[in-house]
Amino acid sequence: MKHSCNNMQTNLSLQKMVFCKIDLKIISIAIAVLTMCSFYGQSQMTDDQVQEQLKTHEGKIDALDERVLLNEGDLAKLSKIKLSGYIQAQYSHYQEGTDPLNTFYIRRARVKFTYKATDGVKFVLQPDFSTGSLSIKDAYAVVNIPRLNGITLWAGQFNRPNYEVEYSSSQREVLERSKVIRSIYPGEREIGIKLEYIPDAFPLKLQLAMLNGNFTGKEAKDVDKKKDIMARATYSFDLPDAGIGIDLGAHGYFGSLVSQTMYISDYEGRLDSMSANIGSFYDKQWFGGEMQVFFDFLGGMSLKGEYIMGKNATAGDSRSNPFKTRNFSGYYAYFIKNIGKKNQFAVRYDHYDPNTDLSGNDAAKEVSYNTLTVAWQYYLNENIRISLNYDKPWNETNATVTEDKKDNVLGVRVQAKF
Amino acid sequence: MKKSKISIIIALAVICFAGAAFLQQTKITVKGSDTLVILAQRWAEIYMKQHPEVSIQVTGGGSGVGIAALINGTTDIANASRPIKKSEIEKLKSRYNTLGVEIPCAKDGITVYLHESNPVKELSLQQLSDIYKAKITNWKEVGGVDAKITLYGRENSSGTYVYFKENVVRADYAASCQTLPGTAAVVNAVKKDPNGIGYGGAAYAEGVLHCKVKKADGSTAYLPTAENIAKGMYPITRYLYMYMRNRPTGDLKKYIDWILSPEGQKVVTGVGYFPVK
Repeated sequence: MKHSCNNMQTNLSLQKMVFCKIDLKIISIAIAVLTMCSFYGQSQMTDDQVQEQLKTHEGKIDALDERVLLNEGDLAKLSKIKLSGYIQAQYSHYQEGTDPLNTFYIRRARVKFTYKATDGVKFVLQPDFSTGSLSIKDAYAVVNIPRLNGITLWAGQFNRPNYEVEYSSSQREVLERSKVIRSIYPGEREIGIKLEYIPDAFPLKLQLAMLNGNFTGKEAKDVDKKKDIMARATYSFDLPDAGIGIDLGAHGYFGSLVSQTMYISDYEGRLDSMSANIGSFYDKQWFGGEMQVFFDFLGGMSLKGEYIMGKNATAGDSRSNPFKTRNFSGYYAYFIKNIGKKNQFAVRYDHYDPNTDLSGNDAAKEVSYNTLTVAWQYYLNENIRISLNYDKPWNETNATVTEDKKDNVLGVRVQAKF
Repeated sequence: MKKSKISIIIALAVICFAGAAFLQQTKITVKGSDTLVILAQRWAEIYMKQHPEVSIQVTGGGSGVGIAALINGTTDIANASRPIKKSEIEKLKSRYNTLGVEIPCAKDGITVYLHESNPVKELSLQQLSDIYKAKITNWKEVGGVDAKITLYGRENSSGTYVYFKENVVRADYAASCQTLPGTAAVVNAVKKDPNGIGYGGAAYAEGVLHCKVKKADGSTAYLPTAENIAKGMYPITRYLYMYMRNRPTGDLKKYIDWILSPEGQKVVTGVGYFPVK
């Protein structure tokens, strides 16, 4: 929101410049008229001379007019561009197993360019300059469909329609998304088209997307002819007298992934190595239910959660790294409490089981994870937020994974948003 | 002796802290709608005279600017001449985990301004929509002279812009519509342009012709007078709002209660708007 204020201030100052020019124009006319009057009063100029002087000044005023028009044109173009973004500088301290055990790095450094071509047409480009990588996060166009009020068409690379995915990293109360979301929606974005319907009269939101389905965060290139479909619907109930708002929603993913290897590991981990497997499609289908409750109690609090289950397919390339099909499940639950205007406390518990058909020793390396995250946010001002975050994951143990991994992480992040 | 000195120092410190707390003014910041800014300033002046312990700072900028300030924590009250948008409620949810609190505080009739020389005296909502969509581009199409219509409007941060778009134009504004910063600027532009048309709050409309507006072609056209707005006859009537992050408490609640009291609502009429109670 701040960027829009800044943008408006910029526009206002530019408009002031234009008005200054208009004032200059008025002053020029006034000077010309006064000069004429003065000359006329002194009767030192003939009519022809007065006419000539007038023509000269008219010419100058016309030239000034042209310059003002040019400036107005430039101003109109500039006012269509909005610039926003954020930088997240982070310190992480790992419990064990990483080298180095602690490090400073830039988690995210994003600049978002939004160009509003006309009412109802918008282009967005958002590169990310994190430590060690440069990538395009968003690159899309949004068009209001004429005569279909409330329906927009999105085309390009944008967030997949899911609550935690679409919840901005600059707003999120803990440092990273839950494990299940990071696993099934790597890189958060996808390339494709999306229809979004937000009616004026109902607190409803419908999203329907057709996507390549192969985005991994690093690789954006499509690898098969089939496209994946995603759908999400949310409905909001408000109880304004009680200060309570409840959002309910569900989403589904209906897609597939082509195998580029003959080595397929099935739901129970059995390896199939028929050459006909190359080019075969395997289902990626899951459903999720979500709820967010907001309560205006002592500064505001919320409870948010989502449960997702279904079957997933992940690419492989060899016997040791086969293409995998798995039934999975996962959920997350947040409790967030605002403390005054500047502080916020958050706890999240999340669970992810990458293979629900196997457990104990049969699961081998595919063990389930539970993670407790505790975080504190301090909003120094409207631009700066300081976050302290502690992640405590617990993994399932068996004969292969014999103990809980020492993978707790303490993180401190300073975020500057503009 | 030493003990009594310490006691005196402690007593003085307590008195100083108590005095500082007593002298400390409660500061309330109000930001937003340019339509509401005159009314909000008048409310603040009267209330501060009656309650010197409260300091109220009022600034304009537009409804969108006010709500943005509410979201980023730089204002206590956001004034808006349009209802809060769903996207803005989402931002309040994510930052404060609340839905915000909406308080309708006055009613206003959006006035359509024409140049005083314009022979057109009334327009229907459909004609206004077609004019601002650039479907109608010449005054002769609505009974005026053969001249191109010049459109003036507000910036998209304005609540009046949003309200007029959603309730009158019901589509995107024509690209030829010139956006101006503030209703006063729109009035000024129309005052100077014989072919101009603009819109804004009734409280600003001086030196321009107030266009009568009718719901449909066959309906009676009405001027945005107090009586027509109070009776619901004038078709472009809207509420003006105040928004807060949380349900108000303490001095903020007292101020809101005063605004909604008969005394506060009397000020609404004095400024040229219409009371909600």
